[in-house]
Amino acid sequence: MTLPAFSLVRPQTVAEALRVLQEAAPGQAKIVAGGTDLIPNLQMKLYAPQLVVDIKGIVALRGIEWSPRQGLQIGALTTLAELEHAPVVREQFPVLAEAVAAVAGPLQRNMGTIGGNLCLETRCLWYNQSEFWRRALGGCLKLPMPNPHAALSRTICHVAPGGKFCWAVWSGDSAPALLTLDAEVEIAGPRGRVRRPLRDFYKNDGMDRIALGPDELLTAVHVPAHAAGRRGTYRKLRIRNSIDYPLAGVAVTMEVDREGICRAARVAIAAVNPAPLLVPQAETLLVGKKASPELIEEVARATTRTGKPLTTSVSTPEYRREMLRVFTRRALQTCWHNPGRAEHEHNSGD
Amino acid sequence: MEKILLQLRVNGETRQVAVPPNKLLLDVLREDLGLTGSKRGCDDSSCGCCAVLIDGTPMLSCVALAASYVGAEILTVEGLAPPGELHPVQEGFAVSGGAQCGYCTPGFLITTKALLDRNPHPTLEEIREALSSNLCRCTGYMQIYESVRLALERWAQAPRAAGARPSAAEGRD
Amino acid sequence: MAEFSVIGKPMPMTDARAKVTGLGKYTDDLVVPGMLVGKMLHSPYPHARIQRIDTTRAEALPGVKAVATGRDAPNPYGILPIGHDERVFQTDKVRYIGDNVAAVAATSAELAEQALALIEVEYEPLPAVFDPLAAMQVENPEHWIHSNKPRNIEKEYHHVFGDVARGFAEAEIVHAERFYAGEVTHAAMEPHATLAVWEPEERLTVYSSTQVPYYLQRTLSNVCEMPMSRIRVVKPLVGGGFGGKSEVIPLEVAAAVLAKKARRPVKITYTREEVFYAHRGRPISYIDLKVGITREGRITAVEARMVQDGGAYCGYGPVTVLYSGNLLHAIYDIPAARYDGYRVLTNKPACGAMRGHGTVNMRFAFECMLDVLAEMAGLDPAELRRRNLLRAPCVTANQLRVTSYGLPECIERVVERSGWAAKRGKLPFGRGIGMACSHYVSGAANPIIRSNLPHTTVYIKVDRDAGITVYTGASEIGQGSDTIQVQIVAEVLGVRPERIRLVAADTELTPVDLGSYSSRVTFMAGNACLEAARNLRTQLFEAAAKKLGCAPEALQAREERIFSRHDPQRALSFEEAVATALEAQGTLVAKGTYAPPEEARGGTFKGAGVGPSPAYSYSAQTAEVSVDPETGQLTVHRIVVAHDCGRALNPLTVEGQVEGSVYMGFGQAVQEEMLWRNGRLMNPSLLEYRIPTTLETPLIESILVESQDPEGPFGAKEAGEGSLAATLPAIASAVYDAVGVRIHSLPITPEKILAALQEKQRRAAPSQTGNSGGHSGGRP
Repeated sequence: MTLPAFSLVRPQTVAEALRVLQEAAPGQAKIVAGGTDLIPNLQMKLYAPQLVVDIKGIVALRGIEWSPRQGLQIGALTTLAELEHAPVVREQFPVLAEAVAAVAGPLQRNMGTIGGNLCLETRCLWYNQSEFWRRALGGCLKLPMPNPHAALSRTICHVAPGGKFCWAVWSGDSAPALLTLDAEVEIAGPRGRVRRPLRDFYKNDGMDRIALGPDELLTAVHVPAHAAGRRGTYRKLRIRNSIDYPLAGVAVTMEVDREGICRAARVAIAAVNPAPLLVPQAETLLVGKKASPELIEEVARATTRTGKPLTTSVSTPEYRREMLRVFTRRALQTCWHNPGRAEHEHNSGD
Repeated sequence: MEKILLQLRVNGETRQVAVPPNKLLLDVLREDLGLTGSKRGCDDSSCGCCAVLIDGTPMLSCVALAASYVGAEILTVEGLAPPGELHPVQEGFAVSGGAQCGYCTPGFLITTKALLDRNPHPTLEEIREALSSNLCRCTGYMQIYESVRLALERWAQAPRAAGARPSAAEGRD
Repeated sequence: MAEFSVIGKPMPMTDARAKVTGLGKYTDDLVVPGMLVGKMLHSPYPHARIQRIDTTRAEALPGVKAVATGRDAPNPYGILPIGHDERVFQTDKVRYIGDNVAAVAATSAELAEQALALIEVEYEPLPAVFDPLAAMQVENPEHWIHSNKPRNIEKEYHHVFGDVARGFAEAEIVHAERFYAGEVTHAAMEPHATLAVWEPEERLTVYSSTQVPYYLQRTLSNVCEMPMSRIRVVKPLVGGGFGGKSEVIPLEVAAAVLAKKARRPVKITYTREEVFYAHRGRPISYIDLKVGITREGRITAVEARMVQDGGAYCGYGPVTVLYSGNLLHAIYDIPAARYDGYRVLTNKPACGAMRGHGTVNMRFAFECMLDVLAEMAGLDPAELRRRNLLRAPCVTANQLRVTSYGLPECIERVVERSGWAAKRGKLPFGRGIGMACSHYVSGAANPIIRSNLPHTTVYIKVDRDAGITVYTGASEIGQGSDTIQVQIVAEVLGVRPERIRLVAADTELTPVDLGSYSSRVTFMAGNACLEAARNLRTQLFEAAAKKLGCAPEALQAREERIFSRHDPQRALSFEEAVATALEAQGTLVAKGTYAPPEEARGGTFKGAGVGPSPAYSYSAQTAEVSVDPETGQLTVHRIVVAHDCGRALNPLTVEGQVEGSVYMGFGQAVQEEMLWRNGRLMNPSLLEYRIPTTLETPLIESILVESQDPEGPFGAKEAGEGSLAATLPAIASAVYDAVGVRIHSLPITPEKILAALQEKQRRAAPSQTGNSGGHSGGRP
């Protein structure tokens, strides 16, 4: 498969990148870092940008910084492999370490960046296909492909026929983990840099997935200091234990006091909606309570109510929903009963 | 499409190519530099046949724009050992059956070399994890694990002159 | 002294160095000056009449050197003489999404793609069928996929051997059930590629990723209307085949037609998606199976009905459906069997031969059935199999001749190694062990195109420096057949393998071999090598005997020497012997051929030609698994496999073949499946068609059993396919042992396991019988 023709620029600073993005015709520039998402999508001709902006040369976007006061700052170009192996992430933010370690396989993680992973294109079996395939289908709601030969061809959603909403799923692993850590994204744009809660970054729309303007660049992720040391775990549903995108993902973080009472909790899910989502009821249900099978089951049910899996992947919606429930239950049990590494060290230092 | 002039560092040499900006590193290696050892097995970065080392890290050259890797040290299977010689990893795969049809082999060799550079004493589980982006349809992986094990042995024994030993192993004798 | 010098010792493959250096050339690595890029235009419809094709705009595009359509290649072809229903480009109608309509050759891939978009094709969509059971009901001839195949039945066979009615009457336990197998494909890592070079002398040289250079040469001769002698087919390194390259694939013909038209070299390399449309994989199968046994566990009768979803063209289809029926036999002693097999056309890519061709899905059903019956009879599954063994040498009810039979030893070895007795039925809930057996042919005793010609021929020549060249038509595709042939010649001539150079699979240089399919190469090309080497050795011995003053019969060749077995000091070096022979004869050449003996060629009933083989390999396996009862997730930890390969000529490559077979069986068992929605393949990629990674693949322990086949080269039989089929039912049996549900539908996905567990719970709930071991009960 060939790639569409485009010009390539390799800015070395954020300012230069922003200038390039601003000068590009609206919607005509695509940002590339690791390439694991964009390049296959370009080969499938899901887009035909005039310009590709390779931001890998922007040194300022690399690296992880940690301070107990400022929290964790992760440059957008930090690779998933770097993040996975960073001691501070493993010790203080285990949910994130687990989630990034679950992304695709080791070669993909050597290339893929945290910024790219947060900005993943939404995925659907009816969309992530070659130009030939989609043309034969007549395209879909997200990307119409009028087929001049097909009398029957009309642009519909093949997942929810008749609907006007695109259900392509946001299929990353790192975002649910970061949602449970109250992370913020830093976005640079013409009006300077702003920080925005990660949960507001996602629009839950398969066609228009993230709140990132065409002239903006995601530059960093911030995890607040208060989230450090939280117990956490990530459960991923996939068929193969490597390479695969998630079919469902559940991240849980929790603070538990010495009496076993939950003091803070977050549950987030991915790969079952057009956005990674926090389960809104989870915190209210859990905080102030001790673990009980009934409570855990109640939160697990709340999780399945948040998830809206449809026929966007090879697994059935029913199974993915059921796994949301099982994974949530297991993740909660893990968090409740197993102190994290940071707590261990903290306690032994007492 | 207008071509751009790139200087790439490949297998220790500086190579100049004029290619369109949308050309992938894999295609530049294969078509412009005649390095056909790196293979294309898929179109969506999911098979590992195209793996090369970029600044020592194994990556998929099928999703890398060549122009993005100007200035990086790129190592392909052809650069693993001097002409006529075999790197211990190559020996391991040749002797222990790690290469059947051989199509995935360059990718496995590259990934294995990176693993042993980083971790000269990997456990079976570490080997499985490190090789889990590389698909092989022939072996069932058992002889690949054997090959990695033999590579480790050969590597530990390799003469200093070959320059093919992991630094950790050097300290042991 | 050991019996052999080279045979039986692990030897790295002769092309290993080419592969590990990255310097070995596969077809897509080849470049010739002036080479054009070819691309093919595929049908977007599963079934449509072609109203009009207009290529003028594409032809006008600068850089486009040739555009080809059906008019340029009207002759039909197909791998079977009874199935010439394919044309490289369709003219009347298209029959599946991905069917081929036209092709272009241009100076770049981008231009070729642009040109494809400029070809105008008008289609009139026709009703399409995607399910074989529905396809068999289509009454309107206008809607049949091929007008000469009523109700879309490509071929049906009805076989009865022995007295089936009496067999079931004698049975004390009878069980019947329906089994299902989803569609899988080879997914060789190398996508198909063909480079066709038009030579100035009006000849065609075609380099192609093929398992069957000779059939490709024949087909090109037919389609390009050129004598075979003007077409040279060369097989470079091939990156895996597994059957997917064992018939002529459209790009091979398309590249040749384009090269001929453009008078330029043209290379076509399929995208991974196109590989899925080229397909020729294992068909969706509906299997209805009924088996009766005595209380003691002796099989008395078998009734099997197989419906295969063959896709839109014949391909190897009739052979597939015949293997399913005929290889019900030759593994256990089955006195009576009825088989009804249907190969059905649907509007999907054509199925064909895939590793374990025709046997895998039926074996899955049969072995699962034995697991059920063993339980019903209160027998250990291993014991049930022991009670139904053949007594070789023998001839089966359907006239298959079994000459060597290592299955009993295979069963005992895996029972012992796996700890079967301590585990089966005794592991904690969620953990289980299962067992199954399988077998396969060592080459088909009858060629695809019936004749009495040899199936394979090998030439050997020896040069003045005593270098040996072996010319073989056999196709190395990664299985190690080149190495085996070198080993055989080296053993017979008593030389180091390094002395031998093998020239293979180049129709201009090498004699005819039918190809690498049905696991025939070790047995057939091996026997031809054996004969050729022996012929050459006879010449050497005669010359050496004169010089040494002894009888030729007294001589022996070993370790680079030819010596008298009575007086080993009386000896010539191999070089001296060659020099002596050359002085006497001027040249030193020999040939060997192989054709299976008459007795091996089977019966005379309709369809008797498929299944007979000069020898059968056998396999027994255990699989140990755990099942997570809440998620249905299945982990296969360990597979112990014992494979009867007759003799392991090269234990390294034999083990590689056995483990590779288990791997592919594992993939089909648990996670591989082509997903179709109205004839549209939903997962035409290695991302979504999930061949196993290192992390799911179980550890495989292989045991080689050597039954010494009387006709195999040094006793050898096949090694590359026979162990695939047992893996699937062994895993199914283990799942049952782990959590008490039988999944008789492939692949065994977590969803199916979970649904079965929930169903079981629902049934158990009202009565609370606590019969956790009870089987879920299949409905016929």
